[in-house]
Amino acid sequence: MTAYIIRRLLLLPLIIFGVTLIVFSMMQLLGEDQLLAAYVDPNSLDKMSVEELEMVKEKYGLNDDPFTRYVKWIGSVAQGDLGWSIVGKEPVAKAILHRLPSSLELALYAIFPIIGVGVWLGVQAALHRNKWQDQLIRIFSIVGWSFPDFVFGLLVLMVFYSWLGWFPPGRVSLQVANIINSPDFHQYTKLVTIDGLLNGRIDVFWDGLRHLIGPILTLSYLWWAYLIRITRSSMLEVLSKDYVRTARAKGLSEKVVINKHAKRNALIPVATVAGSMIIGLIMGVIIVETIFVRPGIGSFAAKAAGQLDYASIMGMLLFSSFLLIVGNLIIDISYALIDPRIRYE
Amino acid sequence: MKKLLVALLLVFSIFTFAEVMNPNTIVDVTIGEPDTLDPHQAYDTASGEVIFNVYDNLIEYVGSSLSKFAPRIAESWEIDGNTVRFKIRKGVKFHSGNELTPYDVEYTFERALIGNPGGGPIWMLYEVFFGDYFSLKSAVAGLTGHSWSDLVDADKNPVSDEAKQILLDFYKNYIDSKVEVDGDYVVFHLAAPKVYFLNIIAQGSSWGAILDSKAAMDLGLWDGKEDGWWKFHDWKKEDSPLYAKEIGSGPYELVEWNRAEQKVILKAFPEYWRGPAKVENVVIWGVDEWSTRKALLEKGEADIVAVPAQYLSQIKGNPDIEIIEGLPSVSVTTLNFNWQVKPDSPYIGSGKLDGEGIPTTFFADKNVRLGFIYSFDYQKMIDDVLDGYGELVPTAMPKGFLGYSDELPKPKFDLAEATKYFKRAYRGQLWRKGFKMTILYNTGNAARQKSAELLADSLKKINPKFQAEVRGVQWPTFLDARKNGKMPLYILGWLADYPDPNNFIYTFYHSDGDYGYYFGDKYAEFANAPQAFFGGKSLNEMISEASALTDPAEREKIYIQVQEFVIREGLGVPLYQPVGVRVHRKWLKGWYPNSIRPGDDYYRYWKSEE
Repeated sequence: MTAYIIRRLLLLPLIIFGVTLIVFSMMQLLGEDQLLAAYVDPNSLDKMSVEELEMVKEKYGLNDDPFTRYVKWIGSVAQGDLGWSIVGKEPVAKAILHRLPSSLELALYAIFPIIGVGVWLGVQAALHRNKWQDQLIRIFSIVGWSFPDFVFGLLVLMVFYSWLGWFPPGRVSLQVANIINSPDFHQYTKLVTIDGLLNGRIDVFWDGLRHLIGPILTLSYLWWAYLIRITRSSMLEVLSKDYVRTARAKGLSEKVVINKHAKRNALIPVATVAGSMIIGLIMGVIIVETIFVRPGIGSFAAKAAGQLDYASIMGMLLFSSFLLIVGNLIIDISYALIDPRIRYE
Repeated sequence: MKKLLVALLLVFSIFTFAEVMNPNTIVDVTIGEPDTLDPHQAYDTASGEVIFNVYDNLIEYVGSSLSKFAPRIAESWEIDGNTVRFKIRKGVKFHSGNELTPYDVEYTFERALIGNPGGGPIWMLYEVFFGDYFSLKSAVAGLTGHSWSDLVDADKNPVSDEAKQILLDFYKNYIDSKVEVDGDYVVFHLAAPKVYFLNIIAQGSSWGAILDSKAAMDLGLWDGKEDGWWKFHDWKKEDSPLYAKEIGSGPYELVEWNRAEQKVILKAFPEYWRGPAKVENVVIWGVDEWSTRKALLEKGEADIVAVPAQYLSQIKGNPDIEIIEGLPSVSVTTLNFNWQVKPDSPYIGSGKLDGEGIPTTFFADKNVRLGFIYSFDYQKMIDDVLDGYGELVPTAMPKGFLGYSDELPKPKFDLAEATKYFKRAYRGQLWRKGFKMTILYNTGNAARQKSAELLADSLKKINPKFQAEVRGVQWPTFLDARKNGKMPLYILGWLADYPDPNNFIYTFYHSDGDYGYYFGDKYAEFANAPQAFFGGKSLNEMISEASALTDPAEREKIYIQVQEFVIREGLGVPLYQPVGVRVHRKWLKGWYPNSIRPGDDYYRYWKSEE
């Protein structure tokens, strides 16, 4: 097992290098005038003469050949400098670091209701197959599955902010922002809720949480649909297996049969999905970030791609491939923990 | 369970009531965020708004006026031909605590001239100080006879001692002498009397903001010395220490520009020379989604909100919200013709007049241009796409400027007229064979897309063989096509830098203007050719002449003449002048309109129920 993990980790830099090379080359194929777009704001195009556009190109080294540019880029990455992010308006590493807490905090809080409730509903549906509970859960899930995310997000905002005034958009309220920025408040993790607790400020914690509930509600409902379906079908399959029948024949109580024999096996495909779900959540959910004004790394990556800001794109690529590779490794390891039949050599 | 719910409800509702309106904070919810806070690099309104509130200029516009000025850092001023003298106010403090001196003013403008970042706004200062040169590089080349790259290497060091001497002489002769301290005065030496010099440096233009020279030097900006000045030329935006910092003396201090959360936070400067601002905190918050902005406004959390015209009806009728409509803007959106498309353009079909494309010089033909101009349904555009928030104007000169005249004919939608001109073009060949071309817009710009579609529709109605395909492309492709002269015709807008007709007439119709340049060599030839209409003068000559005049009546006469010519020849056509909308909570007081200002003047605001 240890050897397996080490082998996988050793491959990591190689894979990342390969990925950056491919993406960088693809971008360079566009030509330097298209890359120039990153340095020119669409709103100021009308103010730029050809001469000035050429000056900008020269200044940012876009006239170098693509190979020189790649060598320059990889050289500075090796020194820990990921370059300047045009869309983030700060150095790439900082831009990612400053936007990560918002995404991370949301992922951290959203994952429990998503997986907990989603799996529970899925199991309930399977156990009450074709009864009213099952039908109800399935309707609930189909509605969630077919709801466009931005419509649902806006609905949540309308009901819980515009009407009820409970869950405002943004990360914190104005008053709390002042507390956080004051010198007495230590930002250990940059996660508002956790820093609030660490500083013993329940009001900060509460304010941070209040701003999280809207996005969590939106994300949860949309992702429950997905998890319910997977859990339900996987559970149904397992329930029809011989070993479940054997367990029942042995005279075990239904509770033990379900929890010990059926559920554990049914959760393997769920673990795969849940793993990628967590990674997806950390990578940010653009629509939720936009509607609830919590700009995280998802909308950052999207903006960078739209403007061909290659330093940011490459930076996000490094970050996301790292996250994916390590994340998948963790998922693989967790298989072994869930299912005793799986062994890695 | 029920008890828990009730408890939760209670807690939430307490929070709801606790947070009505923030009397000591203005929350301005906008779209877009600053590009840079360096006054000499910033060239967009979002940056300009912040700079406007944290820096002071020499003079300011009086209220809504675009031509009357009031003292600011300058107590008074005199204009004598090429010379402008400002008396500098005493007792003005920068945020650093340093006192503002006349030297700070000299330093500021010289730093601008030396820095002159490509793509920035400093070309305006070059124009008034140097006349024929619009950048440091072109001034060095023209005045010393050596190109910049022959004098300075890639690491910004002079290539030889001789080169160094040339650079030192250039500074002494041409930069140092432009702005000089004279006791309590600062004297500006212009290349020629330019009536719009005051407009260029007045409050509202970030490039006229006065910097704290001591603080600037501490941050590593130009040290004020002539030796080594070249090192400070054309920095990258991100390399400027002023990118996210300010060293001003304005009514507000910058607390933080939080780029991750798209927030700019300002705090009133307690020692401001006009007295501290009434509202202590300002938050400028970028929120991209309209529904979210609307919710914030309706809750009262936002005091000011950016509203696109098509959504205005959603908030009308709310007694807490003030909507001011019909504000004239200082911008126009125009349809422009490229007189000489690059032959490798993928947007001109076969490149020939054979029904499968257009010739590269298609739009050099006056009949073709006029045919297109009569084919656009202007009123439908304004009614359907802008929801009425636009006005028709005769040329690219906006309403409200010197030389604007309602007497001039406005563009008309007239298919019969269009048919007449199209039949004349290319001796009837165009009408028989038809054409094929592509009109581009950058995806996401709905107004431009709709304009292009309207045009393509009526062209097809006139003659089914007239085929204009409307295609949306990503921003990088659009930029590439414009830069390399590949678009046969395109729709763009222009926002005034300073409220003077020259900023529009020169930009659009002079063949060296930011638009005229893109119309190709064929257009330059035309603009330089003597015209009987102007008594033997060329269009370019007329435009230059008007910009050098000081008497408004004389200038107006020439601008009207130029516009008559533009209309007669069909040199591009304005589609509309947008009309602005302002939306804020009723409890925000002190607002006044000024169309050239890049944003809000928070210093004059206060919040009160009545």
